Amino acid sequence: MTKNDDKNHDEHRPDVGLYVKVFLALMVLTLITVAISKIHLPRPQAIALGLFVALVKASLVGALFMHLWGENKLIHKALFITVGFGAVLILPIIDFVMVSRRITSPADVAAQHPGGHGGHAEAVSESVNLEAPAAPKGH
Amino acid sequence: MSQTYNPTAFMNNADTHSGVTNAKLGVWLFLASEIMLFATLFTSYIVLRMASSSWPWGWDVLNVPLATLNTVILITSSVTIVMAYAKAYDKDKAGFQKWMAATILLSLGFLVVKAFEYGAEFKLGIGPHTSVFYAIYFTMTGLHGIHILGGIAVNAGLLYMSSVTEHWENPLFLGRVEGAGLYWHFVDIVWIFLFPALYLL
Repeated sequence: MTKNDDKNHDEHRPDVGLYVKVFLALMVLTLITVAISKIHLPRPQAIALGLFVALVKASLVGALFMHLWGENKLIHKALFITVGFGAVLILPIIDFVMVSRRITSPADVAAQHPGGHGGHAEAVSESVNLEAPAAPKGH
Repeated sequence: MSQTYNPTAFMNNADTHSGVTNAKLGVWLFLASEIMLFATLFTSYIVLRMASSSWPWGWDVLNVPLATLNTVILITSSVTIVMAYAKAYDKDKAGFQKWMAATILLSLGFLVVKAFEYGAEFKLGIGPHTSVFYAIYFTMTGLHGIHILGGIAVNAGLLYMSSVTEHWENPLFLGRVEGAGLYWHFVDIVWIFLFPALYLL
């Protein structure tokens, strides 16, 4: 294979105008991400919206900066397998946590122990105190 | 069918009979392993967050303006490295060096801002031991910072190589620039998810 053949079939021809447009889009989306966190939406909606914007930004970088748009199918297959195996490994864990969280919620524990005084739920809550300390003001 | 033996074929970045060079396929497989690494960390983050009775808002406990500045720096560096690739493609040595130097400066800027952020937290006695939130925060941002350091080393190496004329005659050089760019964009994508997950939501 000659050098030119290699360039023609594998390396992507840069499009500077497109890169500038993607840069501007990424900046606007970054502002939108920060704005979403400032408008005090309910947390689940804020997380869903914030991660959706992050997904759009990542897609722009992947498709246009990393040239995945129009990339060889072998690369697409490798990434598809990676994401597929990642999902197979990760989703059951997240599903388990969601289920276990539901069945150990204070309300659910109280319902399972109607004679108690909520002591078990309080103990669970105290033993799993994962809160961060006070805000580090001044930086 | 007989094949001609060519011991220097690998020097020309021989493809894998699929239109992808070995070097690029190798970089993508490396990135695939990196995806798995960060996916497990994000899973840990989700599990810890969902298992906690409460979780702090990033605005209350972290320095969001500095993190926003770092987001702008990293996105800008993604553009400068892709511009460096464009200049390397055109065999414009001066242009390549200018954009690659800008990428390295921006990467160092990211680390300086991060150092200020960490410094302020350490001064207040805050560290990974403080809480689960800070443990996952320092783990994820620290690992990302190490990846930034790795990227700086590779990009600085390419900047040095670009000063040697014979590298511009080597067909592998453009592939190396593209590979470094792919890695750098991946580091950018990781931050794109880290920023809202830790600081904003």
